[in-house]
Amino acid sequence: MASMLTREELALALARAGQGDRSAFRTVYEATSAKLLGVCLRILSDRQLAEDVLQDTYITVWTKASTFDATRASPITWLVTIARNRSIDRLRAAAPMRRSVPVEDAHELADSAPLASEAIETTEGIGRLHLCLDTLEDRVRDAIRTAFLEGVTYDALASRDNVPLGTMKSWIRRGLLRLRNCLES
Amino acid sequence: MTDHPPDDPGPDDATALAGELALRVLPPEEEARARAREATDPAFAAEVEAWNGQLAGLAEAIAPVQPSAGVWPRVEAGLSGAGSAANDHGRAGFWRAWAFGSTSLLAASLVALAVLVARPAPPPLVQPSPAGGLTRVATLSLESGAPAVTLAYDTVTGHLFIAPTRALSGDVGVPHLWLVRPDGAGVQLVGAIDGSAASRRTLDAVLAGAAGQAPAMAISMEAPGHTPAADKPDGPVVASGELQAL
Repeated sequence: MASMLTREELALALARAGQGDRSAFRTVYEATSAKLLGVCLRILSDRQLAEDVLQDTYITVWTKASTFDATRASPITWLVTIARNRSIDRLRAAAPMRRSVPVEDAHELADSAPLASEAIETTEGIGRLHLCLDTLEDRVRDAIRTAFLEGVTYDALASRDNVPLGTMKSWIRRGLLRLRNCLES
Repeated sequence: MTDHPPDDPGPDDATALAGELALRVLPPEEEARARAREATDPAFAAEVEAWNGQLAGLAEAIAPVQPSAGVWPRVEAGLSGAGSAANDHGRAGFWRAWAFGSTSLLAASLVALAVLVARPAPPPLVQPSPAGGLTRVATLSLESGAPAVTLAYDTVTGHLFIAPTRALSGDVGVPHLWLVRPDGAGVQLVGAIDGSAASRRTLDAVLAGAAGQAPAMAISMEAPGHTPAADKPDGPVVASGELQAL
């Protein structure tokens, strides 16, 4: 069941979990575990592995909850970052570059998925991100999106798009700087 | 047409690198170097955090998937081992649990570390590795990519073997070895090392636990006679590398 929590409620539950409150931690889990499993599964493409990493993720969340600072990060962002990094660590520990879905397909997958996080996130920041992403060239935007969603490195991105590694690096580096300028303007 | 602009100088370079680290597009060696920088350079760490916040919006496109009913009980069962954040001051509990795990295993064996050091020379002596020990290895490289130190670490015995190349000799500073903690939680001092000759040491229980988890290690150069705080180098970080299972 997906509990509907506002960002403030989620931040509060996370803070309580940081003080050792297990029922608050359970609330965090109920409200966010489906989202985080989506993130893990997208990177790992294996349900059992993804649930393993999800379990790991929440144990990390429990031990680190007291370091969460609601004035500096949104709770769902903080949780997604942990789940994504854990998944990528597991992906790379297992079999680097085992995936080879062309970038266009990945893009299509990404876009066909429903938007589902409104219950736990204010959407203004996200709207801005998409506005700024739209200012990038298509291929650059796709590369950044694929890198985020699938957790692949420059090497894999370059070979999928069939461009030299240096070209992919410069696309993404310039794209990131442009994104940053836009987000801060 | 050229698609390769000159490297962006100055602050843009740090901003882009922080973005690359947050996005996780860097190859392993560069990622380890960037992690080491994140652990020692607060301004850079803040950049990475800012990127994490900005890029996380991309996850909006991912559909949620309800976990199986069995996941929560496993999470809950894991909490006691992990220690509650409140009772144990956050990660201290986590690390302590790890350290206990490692000491209780302190019974085994010496591993053939010499093999690793001889790389990339032709096949030297190879001794079979006794059962149980998981050896972790790292090559710490300078910014230029030149290898500075090769490390091998046995997670069971806590033995650490350190073999510097000549890259560090000639520096007036004293090389200090650091563990990079997972999840951007900073660094932990292992101690001063001999930059001119191979040496070995045995990590104590707390460090041994940390070394079993550390994604990377790094070297800072400290002024002679100066010992930095356990969680922050004072001198420049000159070399770093990913710590990997052998």
